Amino acid sequence: MELGEGLLRWFVLWFVNFYDEQLGFIDYIIQSWEQIVDYTANHFLLVFIVMFFSLIFWISIGLLISRYDSLATGAFSVGNLLFCIPSISLFGIFITIPMLGLGRTSAALALILYAMMPMVRNVYRGIKSVDWGIIDAARGMGMTARQILFRVQIPIALPVIFAGIRITTVMITGMAAVATFIGERNLGRLIHHGIARESSDMIIAGAILVSFIALLLDYLLGKIERRIASPGLRYDHQDEIT
Amino acid sequence: MIVLDEVTKIFPGAREPAVDRVSFQVTEGNICVFVGPSGCGKTTILRMINRLEEPTDGDIYIKGERVKDKHVNADELRREIGYVIQQVGLLPHQTVEQNVALVPRLLKWPADKIRSRVAELLQMVGLDPQEISHKYPYQLSGGMMQRVGVARALAADPPIMLMDEPFGAVDPIVRERLQDEFLRLQKELKKTICFVTHDINEAIKMGDHIVILAAGKLIQHGTPREILTAPANDFVKDLIGENKEIKLLELTRAAELVKPQAELPPALSSNGCCVQSIDPVQRALEIMLKENSDTVGVRDGDELIGAISWAAIKEYINAINANI
Repeated sequence: MELGEGLLRWFVLWFVNFYDEQLGFIDYIIQSWEQIVDYTANHFLLVFIVMFFSLIFWISIGLLISRYDSLATGAFSVGNLLFCIPSISLFGIFITIPMLGLGRTSAALALILYAMMPMVRNVYRGIKSVDWGIIDAARGMGMTARQILFRVQIPIALPVIFAGIRITTVMITGMAAVATFIGERNLGRLIHHGIARESSDMIIAGAILVSFIALLLDYLLGKIERRIASPGLRYDHQDEIT
Repeated sequence: MIVLDEVTKIFPGAREPAVDRVSFQVTEGNICVFVGPSGCGKTTILRMINRLEEPTDGDIYIKGERVKDKHVNADELRREIGYVIQQVGLLPHQTVEQNVALVPRLLKWPADKIRSRVAELLQMVGLDPQEISHKYPYQLSGGMMQRVGVARALAADPPIMLMDEPFGAVDPIVRERLQDEFLRLQKELKKTICFVTHDINEAIKMGDHIVILAAGKLIQHGTPREILTAPANDFVKDLIGENKEIKLLELTRAAELVKPQAELPPALSSNGCCVQSIDPVQRALEIMLKENSDTVGVRDGDELIGAISWAAIKEYINAINANI
């Protein structure tokens, strides 16, 4: 009883103390609401630009290497290599390139390169995971190579491709915060300035908002996936959907 | 209908040909079964007929036309040939209805014609269209999937069907039933069918004509009875196995061994000791053993036409064995 009571006391004290100190970020958000809305909008915009071009480029590349297997190893090596560069130095490299410099173009290009590895890999894996018997039957029925790609392989690979899109979106949302160092005025700036000013409220506000955006986008993409992926695949790919 | 002329297939990098100068023909409306151990080239031959593989040498003709010249591209040829494989290969993201409608859609049939054709086909293969049309393949049992696979191959009413171990992936009881139903269906449809199996019993049961292959070479071809009564060599004998007499009795219809008999012992006709004249003799034998009787009555419909005796069966088998 003694011990239990002691623990409870300690917990209550900790709880009160925690809220007293840590919930300051809510006050902070309310105070600087307009600026935060501006940062959030910029954050969304950057993620949107990056994902838009990533979908176009990397899905095409993924489909291409699933057709021409000899290119696959090369594409994966490039993707992995890019993925290994610390984000801050990749941003750094881009601002040294003439015409790009500080700003959104550099930030977007660097993030698009980061997106290559998870996107290309999932598209390739998804297309390749389609059972050989299904492709063979489709060919035997007289479907052309193009019909097989668009009516068989892509629809069946959709859950795996979507998994890649979701992972990439979450990752890019987090990484976009780092782009604050090359002039992006987004939620990363809250964290950056918070560190500079030793303000835990700012840091926590920034971190929580970035995570919230990531979770929200992941949730929305999950909804879209449910809408467009065939219910016939839910059984097959249950592990990959979650 | 289908003619193979000195067809050879050598896969890139392989030292031995997968198919080595094989020639035979498949008669219209027949089931021709390719049988042999795995790697004997039976599947490769099947896949060359609809040009999923191209022969290295030799020609394949369908209705007198060279397959190579028949269509500019192979996809159009394949839409005219039904194709069923062991893995079934139903599209998992499409419903049963969409799967069966695959080829008609490729051929751009009007939607209402497709719908009624799908319902007709599902009924034909023994499935309830109402119940099953909107299910996805993962919701079906192995036997149902295989039926849908057959319905899909029949969708555009192709004159030729290629079937690669179509009943290989289901359990023996379901397989037997699918075989029986398919044979009944074939009696009406009269398709020209190439059927691949490694199971000689399935070959004997399904085939009007059997082609035996080993290591890419044609070993023997003929009707099941010819194969059983005159095996070309030891390989064929081994393939047939020990109980060829029983298999023969399965092939022989009761009508062939029936002896007219003016009157039967009353016990025979009363207690069900009878077979139909189209039943296999094997069935008569089973009844003899079960009922402990030396003779079994033979009926044609309701009319009694005679009886089969144990002595007649023995005589028949001995005569064949003496010939070998």
